[in-house]
Amino acid sequence: MSTVFRRPSDALIALFIVTLLSGASATAQEPATADAGVPDAGAPQEEAPAALSPEELAEIEKALGSDATQAQQNAPAGTASAPQSSPGGGGFSLPGMSTSGTNFLDLSLVLDVAAAAFTAKEPLQTGGHDPSRNGFNLQQLELSIGSVVDPYFRFDANIVFAQFGVEIEEAYGTTLALPANLQVRAGQFLTRFGRLNGTHPHAWDFVDQPFSVGRVFGGEGNRGLGTEVSWLTPLPWFVEVVGSATDASGEGTARSFLGSSGERVLSPLDLQLTGVVKQFFPLSDDLSLLWGLSAATGPNPTGYRNRTDVYGTDVYLRYRPITQASHTLVTLQAEAFYRRRQVPEDVLTDFSAYAQAAWRFSQRWATALRYELGTPARGEGGAEVVDPLDPDWTDDRHRVSAAVSFWPTEFSRLRLQAATDRAGWRESPDYSVFLALELVTGAHGAHAF
Amino acid sequence: MRTFRLLAALCAAITFLTAAPARADLSVVTTVPDLAAITKAVGGDHVQVQSLALGSQDPHFVDAKPNLALALNRADLLISIGLDLEIGWLPTLQLGARNPRIQVNNPGFLNASQFPRVLEIPQGKVDRSLGDVHPGGNPHYLYDPRQAVPVAKGISERLAQLDPRNAATYRANFAKFRDELEQARAGWEKRLAALKGAPVIAYHKTTPYLADWLGFEPIAFLEPKPGIPPNPSHVASVLAQGRQRKARLVLVESYYPDTTAKLVASKIPAPVVTIHGGADFRAGETYLQHINELVERLEKGLAGQGG
Repeated sequence: MSTVFRRPSDALIALFIVTLLSGASATAQEPATADAGVPDAGAPQEEAPAALSPEELAEIEKALGSDATQAQQNAPAGTASAPQSSPGGGGFSLPGMSTSGTNFLDLSLVLDVAAAAFTAKEPLQTGGHDPSRNGFNLQQLELSIGSVVDPYFRFDANIVFAQFGVEIEEAYGTTLALPANLQVRAGQFLTRFGRLNGTHPHAWDFVDQPFSVGRVFGGEGNRGLGTEVSWLTPLPWFVEVVGSATDASGEGTARSFLGSSGERVLSPLDLQLTGVVKQFFPLSDDLSLLWGLSAATGPNPTGYRNRTDVYGTDVYLRYRPITQASHTLVTLQAEAFYRRRQVPEDVLTDFSAYAQAAWRFSQRWATALRYELGTPARGEGGAEVVDPLDPDWTDDRHRVSAAVSFWPTEFSRLRLQAATDRAGWRESPDYSVFLALELVTGAHGAHAF
Repeated sequence: MRTFRLLAALCAAITFLTAAPARADLSVVTTVPDLAAITKAVGGDHVQVQSLALGSQDPHFVDAKPNLALALNRADLLISIGLDLEIGWLPTLQLGARNPRIQVNNPGFLNASQFPRVLEIPQGKVDRSLGDVHPGGNPHYLYDPRQAVPVAKGISERLAQLDPRNAATYRANFAKFRDELEQARAGWEKRLAALKGAPVIAYHKTTPYLADWLGFEPIAFLEPKPGIPPNPSHVASVLAQGRQRKARLVLVESYYPDTTAKLVASKIPAPVVTIHGGADFRAGETYLQHINELVERLEKGLAGQGG
């Protein structure tokens, strides 16, 4: 197996890197200009920087670096992350938040493009919008639409444009006025199994999807047409209970259930049922803990009344100083998935997980590190067996990814990510490098925690 | 005799229960602490008030923590600054709160920006090449105590609408707040008369309302555009302007890093004055106390002391 980069890709990537870095550098060093259209208390007289001595310029550089260091000193070991999109919709705001009384529809577009280089001829990327080939990849162009329908419902949709197609990723209504702390969603939506499944690439610290999600649910994450009921319990701390019933079909969305088979729904047991409990603990002003337990059950097509169960737990620890001046943000996040599938004459089980740490150490810069693990399928006797869904997956798989992010503003992001993927069934590790650009335009998105 | 003892015990129990402390009539949640302080001043003992953000937080970037949604779930009234200041975090909390009263355009939601005189409403095309510019105008109006009066009046009227039984108390509390504020304001303006016309450098565009009130002249901002962090060439340009115009003060909010501001100030030279982002409502600080502290800091700055 060849591990040498193909020359044309090298040239393309180098060109792309130079172009992007030049653009980023130009943005970062943009000199101050009068804000056209913004009234200012007299145009300030701008003096040439040459009026300052070289020593003073050096001190200015040092002070700017010190501002970053000052933020860094508040951080324990770890990494930070950017604000994340809200579950169920990237980039939307409620009408009425805008001053214009005629704003009935909030639209935003998120563009994700990446230049990628892989050592493997067939990269093992599972995410539907992961970069998956050498060269330039259009990960997705996401159109988010949000609006309040009336005092009782709001509508949200995400339409994703890819190079070879358009898909309605989500389109659902949410109730606004049910009694007893209840809320219902109906339509097509991402289930809230775990932490990452209900979010979009815009909210992620990494360019690609953890392979746990792709393996268990599919490249698009777990979603389907259906309905969801959630309840905010009247306990003194935040506890939310969520239940949903969704279509169990879809190779990219319900892979461990009916997947790509065309089975009919004959009873409610032919739907995927998902249950989630989420708890939040404000450990201090600066430190927050979110813990979730999830379970999903549904039919699979391997035999009459054969079923799949998936159990998961997720933890999210977030440190962000709010009682002093700081841009520091450190997050630790982990999810584990245990999957149990009935197949003819056997029951297969496997385990997948990831853990990641992100550290935003200044207003514009962040780093992140992620470790992923997937075990092979085991039968009832404990012996490793060939999994019909992933016949190659006959050994443990470990992947480590590292990323550096740069935000010119909260509306644009550049990320450089490298990964080493040690799949036990391959002779040698696969390596990958991504350089990704993300642009957000349109309505200002409201970020979830 | 046994019957009498039972009756006595029952009377004692009833007395104990009815003697329990009276609960507040309204639960109010505000987005920023200054609104909470004003609401408490107007509502008095009849309202229980909580602010979602601390004064030490940049109100543009508050985490939408689930416990804040829990507070909103139980609120009778949500008061926001508006003008897109909270756009990055409040809608998520409103949706997750499952409280129809506090959704936009319901009686339990109050956008306070409808009351003050809003400055810096952009003319012409607005887009993000201008930085994080607010299309509806500059949202930092509570730095100007003159704008706090119509805001307090708007809050008292909404409290009266939601709790008619105590309407007279809310209006009386507002009148008291207004009178105390007007009296204090005369003293503040006298103490800071020397600031009129003085050139001042600031970190972020929070100063227009302060400048409009006190008459000083912001000549430059350390942020090249709102939300864009300082870069060396821009800082050098600001320093050159500061020297040329003999800037009297450098103003920076407590939630922004201050090393660059201190360097520029030391080179001009001019004192650095730290502005607290809002009243320390959780510690019981009132709006008047917060503005008075701000005035004291500016006063010391004019006397050449940073702080």
